[in-house]
Amino acid sequence: MKLSLAYDQKLDTGILGLAVDASGDRVFAACADGAIFEVDIASGRAKAFEARHESYASGCVLLPDGKTLISGGYDGNLIWHDVEARKSVRTVKAHPFWSWQLALSPDGAHVASVSGQYLPGGWKYEPAEAQEACVKILETSGGKLVAEYSHTPPVLSCAFSPDSKHVAAANMMGEVRVWEVTGSREPVSKWTSPSFTSWGSIKTHHYCGGIYALAFSPDGAGLVGCGMGAMTDPMAGNGKMTWQRWDWRKGEKINEIKDGQHGSGLMEALAWHPDAKHFVMAGKQAQGTWNAAIFDAADGNLVTSVDTKKRITHARFAKDGSWLILAGANGQPAPKNGIWPPWGRLQVYRVDA
Amino acid sequence: MMNEHPAHAPGECPTDEHKLHRRLFLKGLTGGTAAAVTSFSGLFENPVFAAETKKAQKHCILLWLCGAPSQFETWDPKPGRPSGGPFGSIPTKIPGVHFSSLMPHCAKIADKLNIVRSMKTAQSEHLQAITLLQQGNPERPGFTRPTLGSSISQAMGQLDTALPNFIFIDPIPGGNEFETFKAGNWAGWLGAEHAPVRLGGEYTQFKNETSDTIPLHDKETRETLRRFLTRKFERDRRSKIASAQNAAFERLKGLSASAHLFDVNKLSPKDRERYGPGSFAQHALMARHLVENGAPFVMVANGMNWDNHVFQHEIHQMLVPELDRVLFHLVNDLEERGLLESTLVVAMGEFGRTPWLNAARGRDHYPNAWSMMMTGCGLKRGVITGATDIDGVEVAEKPYNEQNFFATIFKALGIDPYAEYDLPGQPTFHRVENRAEPIRDLLA
Repeated sequence: MKLSLAYDQKLDTGILGLAVDASGDRVFAACADGAIFEVDIASGRAKAFEARHESYASGCVLLPDGKTLISGGYDGNLIWHDVEARKSVRTVKAHPFWSWQLALSPDGAHVASVSGQYLPGGWKYEPAEAQEACVKILETSGGKLVAEYSHTPPVLSCAFSPDSKHVAAANMMGEVRVWEVTGSREPVSKWTSPSFTSWGSIKTHHYCGGIYALAFSPDGAGLVGCGMGAMTDPMAGNGKMTWQRWDWRKGEKINEIKDGQHGSGLMEALAWHPDAKHFVMAGKQAQGTWNAAIFDAADGNLVTSVDTKKRITHARFAKDGSWLILAGANGQPAPKNGIWPPWGRLQVYRVDA
Repeated sequence: MMNEHPAHAPGECPTDEHKLHRRLFLKGLTGGTAAAVTSFSGLFENPVFAAETKKAQKHCILLWLCGAPSQFETWDPKPGRPSGGPFGSIPTKIPGVHFSSLMPHCAKIADKLNIVRSMKTAQSEHLQAITLLQQGNPERPGFTRPTLGSSISQAMGQLDTALPNFIFIDPIPGGNEFETFKAGNWAGWLGAEHAPVRLGGEYTQFKNETSDTIPLHDKETRETLRRFLTRKFERDRRSKIASAQNAAFERLKGLSASAHLFDVNKLSPKDRERYGPGSFAQHALMARHLVENGAPFVMVANGMNWDNHVFQHEIHQMLVPELDRVLFHLVNDLEERGLLESTLVVAMGEFGRTPWLNAARGRDHYPNAWSMMMTGCGLKRGVITGATDIDGVEVAEKPYNEQNFFATIFKALGIDPYAEYDLPGQPTFHRVENRAEPIRDLLA
């Protein structure tokens, strides 16, 4: 496989959420200014939706019919948008704190939103338990809350299984819980991997890091999570670029990124290739040679990689797997004469087998 | 030789009152009204003198937010602006003034706080900036200027106290640049007797009776005292600085007598719950308790927690609410105990954070325009002074630097900011150089 840059577009502010339509020509970007944009990949032309979040827009999912987009934000709201009219259909207050991430069930019936504020819970700043459920499942058709599940905040990432029957959510402490979507409040499986979390014994007296993305394998048996390994200096962002793959029913690790194939930096994005044999992990590079790489799902080896020179927050393959769409941000530039230069980036790479 | 300037500026704590205990002490030594008191300790057994001394004593609690907090997520929010970040702002008790939405408790007592929104300093690296904001003046060859705590120890330290005059609580012994600073010379030319007694981290590693029933942090606190007793004393002995050795020994004796004050488990459980479970919150409560028991200067830090080059918003969402809660209870508690009038409370870092985010979710160092809080000890309350521009990039009104800040502190504490020192072998210098103005808006 080989990745080659085809398009490189700018948006005004960092892109924190991404959805791609079936054609792969049109994407939807949730941005740090609270706005949601429809972007034509080839031209870079962006059209804003009417409704925006009162804080960062942190995620968006497009329903299978392509007519409705649901966005989440750090205002705790989920907004339903009519894609054609680019107007708001409804707003649901899902959380008292941020919606960190959204996930859409493959059947399009449910949207999951994860939340939770990191507050001190102990002498060493163990996260305090949440006052409210951090994992919420809503019907996409009407916004009705159909399930809510407890998890230790902050809960950073979530994903649905391919059969839409299970939802997984992971937090800053590297704890993963999996529930039946509308089943018991007790998770069917849970485990903790300490490989994603730092505690600043040298510099900072708190925890940081966590599992920033989750993705079930297409066969439904495995679950991949990504983030950053423990940092010597938690403020350097230089932990090991990390993914792990688990047998989620057993809560057992079955593979992980190999030594010598990673640099350092926070990995925030995961996506499976339509061939079900590969997946991509991407994020921010602190040290190393790449920040987006495709891995062989069978043996875990790195297949190809690229240094985009940006922070990648989301990755999606086009339906036929020939394109890899990466969304993210540059560092925010200082204003010039009172004007803030754009810092959101949308890049499309051709994927050659 | 030190030349004190006799004039008091408006709002200054009455220096004469402040110096009362020293005058009475001298009277005792020279056969004045307290002539019957012939010994140092005996002087303080005089109930009239002790009461007057306690009444006159000023205190300072410095919440040192090392690493440097973001002004946008605390005192100077810019909601809706590209620099504003994800957190909104909320109205405060002062009409028209907003704080970050992460500070709802402080918003309720904004009329008891003072915020300086226009700090503008010249150092953008931690070690240099910490030194600058701890010493109050740019470094100058020829001598080492004492830090704020050491200066206050020298100027306000009680003569008879069982407590050290400069207490520094920090559970993390390391911390990169802060570690370098912490290992440096705090007292400068004042000498080791004005260096801090330090608690926390590896200063707690000494053998003690072990019990599984004692929480780890309690063990650490106890160990702090033991370790200090052994290592510091030995170090000072080796230094052959006799006067410092004697002073250190006296401090150790004081520490031994006051060990219970350094045990968080001896603090009220209700108070501990109110302040919050984190070590910074517990140590801030301990600072209040130490001040209640006469400590002149207590500095509380927590490693370099605020240096959020990565995960800015992800960590500030935790740190700021803790600070908010701590300040709310600390200021209210001091007020309820009648101590806020005599206790200066300062919360600050060494600079601010950039208006723009880097690509790692962080804000970087920014000395050009930042905020800090100070209240108590005769200062006005509810003052918001200085301002930044619409994006918080530059100071728009009333820029203040470290010298203005230190002049304000010394004024508030009744210490001459411009005292001149002409010591043998050293250049002539002043507590605050250039006769820098205090922040007049804050002085009553």
